[in-house]
Amino acid sequence: MLEVSNLSLHYGRHIALHQLSLKVGKGETVVILGANGAGKSSLLKSIAGLTKPDAGALISFDKRVITGTPAHDVLEAGIALVPEGRGVFGDLTVEENLALGAYAKRARQGARDRQDFVYSLFSKLRDRRSQYVNTMSGGEQQMVAIGRALMSKPDLLMLDEPSLGLAPVVVGELFASLARIKAAGLALLIVEQNVKMTLSIADRGYLAEAGRITGEGTAQALMSDAAVQRAFLGAAN
Amino acid sequence: MLVTALLSGLVLGGTYALVAMGLTLQYGIARIMNLAYGEVVIAAAFLAYTLFTAWGISPVAGLLIAAPAGFALGYVIYGVMMRPLVARAWDKASLEIDSILATFGLLFVIQGVLLVVFGANFTSYSYLNVAVNVLGTTLAANRLLAFVLAAVFAGGLYLLLTRTLWGTALRAVSVAPGSAPLVGIDVDRAARMAFALGGALAAAGGVVISMYQTFTATSGVVFTMKALIVVIMGGVGNILGALSAGLILGVVETFVATYLDPGLTLAATYAIFLVVLLWRPSGLFGRIAR
Ligand SMILES: Nc1ncnc2c1ncn2[C@@H]1O[C@H](COP(=O)(O)OP(=O)(O)O)[C@@H](O)[C@H]1O
Ligand SMILES: [Mg+2]
Repeated sequence: MLEVSNLSLHYGRHIALHQLSLKVGKGETVVILGANGAGKSSLLKSIAGLTKPDAGALISFDKRVITGTPAHDVLEAGIALVPEGRGVFGDLTVEENLALGAYAKRARQGARDRQDFVYSLFSKLRDRRSQYVNTMSGGEQQMVAIGRALMSKPDLLMLDEPSLGLAPVVVGELFASLARIKAAGLALLIVEQNVKMTLSIADRGYLAEAGRITGEGTAQALMSDAAVQRAFLGAAN
Repeated sequence: MLVTALLSGLVLGGTYALVAMGLTLQYGIARIMNLAYGEVVIAAAFLAYTLFTAWGISPVAGLLIAAPAGFALGYVIYGVMMRPLVARAWDKASLEIDSILATFGLLFVIQGVLLVVFGANFTSYSYLNVAVNVLGTTLAANRLLAFVLAAVFAGGLYLLLTRTLWGTALRAVSVAPGSAPLVGIDVDRAARMAFALGGALAAAGGVVISMYQTFTATSGVVFTMKALIVVIMGGVGNILGALSAGLILGVVETFVATYLDPGLTLAATYAIFLVVLLWRPSGLFGRIAR
């Protein structure tokens, strides 16, 4: 469904992504693992249309080329991003954030049903719907960010370190929600530091290092991979 | 005396609020500091004057011509002049500087045209200049109408921004422009719409002003300054803030002119401005797009 090939990106003279390729199939959950500065956020932003990749890159979604398409049109194509730091509208209410989630043309129809789905996923949001988002906890804001993205009726949901800064118990709830979103048929592309939890809901994964993809495999294979265990799962030796 | 001063103050303040709401849209959402804003106000005042004196078209009907014209003017100015500045701006600060310089030039272009066409004389016309009884005191009917129109525009704008998805999207651009594309909002388009809507409000303000005030081709800068003060007092991008701050400014100015000395009006205006700027730099009501 999503196909990225030969994606390079530089900031000034700094090369952030180097001829990178990856795929996400329909309804598939894919995780990208990599240390800080590996280029994971840059990759998601390039797909979302928030940064412009170097010439030669090819990003296609459902056979449609979206390289260089502005972010608001990428959303219309069916890709939603929950960015690092969430990017919610803090000065607006929960309800307004969700309503804006359905701002895209593709999302206007059936917005009410999707809002019900979001409220069933995050029942706290229903109780807090008139609260201003910047007065909420980090975990609640993450729910708003994910709920808002779901409102746009995405076929692919990309999440950039959704568990960052959340308390362990909240992280557990978050991954339970992600599992339910996956079960609803959406494809997920997740960048995470919380490798164990992410691999437990993922189908496949890529290893990123210094702007390159250095490895890939099924979630099961990655879980038992020695290099992955050393780098991310805190295994001895 | 007290009631009379209060009513005059509210009328004046309503006009300030109306004019300032357009500027707060342009500055708060489109992030353009438009120094030529008052010139659009005055151009609309002359338009209303011409429609009334040459063709007998009432200013209320004139609004239906001036506001769409102001919208169109804002739409074109944004596309031709502002978009290149937005496209090359590194950040908010550099866009602010560029837009101040560019609109400073535009100010003199519009003013020059107005001077050539209408001359430098004080201009006014007599419309609904009859006394009506309000709360035991008399008020010119045109002032009462000016207040009602300001209230209608303010209420309409508030509902548009808070009760429609389109308006909510404009507020989203105001509070978090970087996140707006994530929900499919075309920020450039939203900014252009906000700028054009600001132009419509400037034009509406000009028509309302012309109904009860004397104006000249060079008085635009006064309205830009007062609108700017109201915008900062009310919190940039804050519609209800602009409304409250406009009313406060109008009442204070009128009270100072009535009870102290008319010569102190401007001094009082700027004194309030300085106090707000020093103590509440984000405005009396905060930078919240509500
Ligand atoms: N806006 C930017 N300007 C310059 N350098 C950047 C910018 N964003 C990221 N980088 C650099 O690009 C590299 C990849 O960053 P990023 O994509 O954020 O990595 P990750 O999300 O994996 O931590 C890092 O070296 C980072 O410092
Ligand atoms: Mg990152």
